[in-house]
Amino acid sequence: MSVQLSIIVPLYNEEDSVAPLYHSIVKSVDRLDTDYEILFVDDGSTDNTVAEAQKLAARDARLRVIIFCRNYGQTPAMAAGIDYANGDVLVTMDGDLQNDPDDIPSLLEKMGEGYDIVVGWRHKRQDKLITRKIPSRIANRLIGWITGVPIRDNGCSLKAYKASVIKNIPLYSEMHRFIPAMASLAGSRIAEIKVKHHARQFGESTYGLSRIYKVLMDLITIKTILSFISHPIRMFALAAGVIMVIGMTALVAGVFQLASGSGFVYISVALLYMSLAIALMSLGVIGELVYRTGNMRIEHFARIKSNVQDAP
Amino acid sequence: MKGGKKELSVIITVTERYDPVRDVFYFYKQGLEAAGKSYEIIYVLDGSYPDVLSELEKIQESEQFTIITLAKKFGEATALNAAFSVATSDIILTLPAYLQTDARDIPALVNAIDGCDMVMARRYPRKDSFFNGLQSRVFNSLLRSISDLEIHDAGCSARIFRRQVVDEVPLYGDLHRFYPVLVYQYGFHVTEIKVTQNESDAFRRVYAPGIYMRRLLDLLTVFFLVKFTKKPLRFFGLIGTVLAGIGTIITTVLVSERLFFDVALANRPALIMGSLLIVLGVQIIAIGLIGEIIIFTHAKDLKEYKVDRIIN
Repeated sequence: MSVQLSIIVPLYNEEDSVAPLYHSIVKSVDRLDTDYEILFVDDGSTDNTVAEAQKLAARDARLRVIIFCRNYGQTPAMAAGIDYANGDVLVTMDGDLQNDPDDIPSLLEKMGEGYDIVVGWRHKRQDKLITRKIPSRIANRLIGWITGVPIRDNGCSLKAYKASVIKNIPLYSEMHRFIPAMASLAGSRIAEIKVKHHARQFGESTYGLSRIYKVLMDLITIKTILSFISHPIRMFALAAGVIMVIGMTALVAGVFQLASGSGFVYISVALLYMSLAIALMSLGVIGELVYRTGNMRIEHFARIKSNVQDAP
Repeated sequence: MKGGKKELSVIITVTERYDPVRDVFYFYKQGLEAAGKSYEIIYVLDGSYPDVLSELEKIQESEQFTIITLAKKFGEATALNAAFSVATSDIILTLPAYLQTDARDIPALVNAIDGCDMVMARRYPRKDSFFNGLQSRVFNSLLRSISDLEIHDAGCSARIFRRQVVDEVPLYGDLHRFYPVLVYQYGFHVTEIKVTQNESDAFRRVYAPGIYMRRLLDLLTVFFLVKFTKKPLRFFGLIGTVLAGIGTIITTVLVSERLFFDVALANRPALIMGSLLIVLGVQIIAIGLIGEIIIFTHAKDLKEYKVDRIIN
């Protein structure tokens, strides 16, 4: 069964939000003249989320509920929704009523202008300044600067994707905030529009400051993948080259000071750095081997792009 | 095997420790009859145990069961895998070749599998010596701190699980002790029931220090498998960044003192230490990046979630 639009909502302990969310989605999307489906992905909730969703699904065949065995996190929940969606266009949003389904039509309208991905920007964000907004602003600047995809709000779940683009992008760990960056590998066209953002009505906000480290590490990963994945050896060779220069400098300094007796210290340091350079080169070769024997190729992304262009 | 598919496959693994074969066999048989399900018994001999084999063959004259003998000692995980490939039923019960639990608890174990995927037996109350009890408690609480699974007796070999568990979660190496933790991590429902410890199991055991070392390493492996498989850089990155960071600070201070304050650099051992820390830290980060490349290139095969059911 193929539909035009799939709306994907991960839910984790949102028993109070399920019904209002469902009704507001239906209200907003019914105005559009499209056939659509709603996918609720229950991420191992321990409250009545599943029962609430089940009640709604019993009356509406367009609502599908995917229930996880246990809690896996937001990215796997999104990934499951994307895997099971049948639509040509997929819209993802948060399950906590902070995103407004009223924005879905404008996302789709923007997409109609020829974009592959349209991301929401919560320009009037209703969150705490110190613990949420400022770290998020810094993170977004950093992500934009490093990935080269300057999106102002990577953390906003309200996004619309062409199914042909998103279904080919690997989603694991907590990579959902880097989907636009990954998609840029394929040369996808990405747009950003302002969306509404409501303060949390029910429940507790589930994220804190502790994720800064995780985001930083993921960012290093994404940068590596974006810049070097088709030639891992280049990245390692680059690093090895820089370190080799330091080592050589120390070596030259050491040779000149051999007479004074302190030269051996410099030479020891030089040897340390040079051994690091050699180790990095070796790791680069291993990286190259891993990539060549793996089944994820940059060519896959290129094929996605050509599919998009071929579509009428 | 005659009589078609059975409801229950019982696997009894013979390794270093075993009790008189005939006693064990009839003891278990009594418990299995009480459970009231059709069953098949598979004996796996991990290596050559001539006395056990001859005894089993004698029993085979009056009873029907399968014997598998491995060509050499491969370890418990391999022995179990060999038995899984022969087992025909959907529910598998593993039992040790020595009297660890009371056979009268087998029906309870068999009944507990309804509604979940794996049931572990927990010997309670423990009749062991104080020392054995303590080491078991320490080990199991360490295991609990790694995973959310409430596991109190990883050392008990009496376990029952569904075929699907074995098909999806690879069992290898020395990890059979930790198998429930890995199974839980895959999203299966794992529970624990209390069973009576057999009197003969309560003798005092003292292990060689090497065994403790190996357990600790296994624990580390499981820790890594559970926490960081999908995000190796978060693990390596933390160690590497801290080391390289300290090294960079030390080196920067020393070098700037040399450049701007004319303090001699060569006679300061801290220079070597700083360089060593940088070298070590960068290598660790590089290894983490290789890990990330491995995960990325296999991301399509690594499905992170398990769906319990889908409504509509």
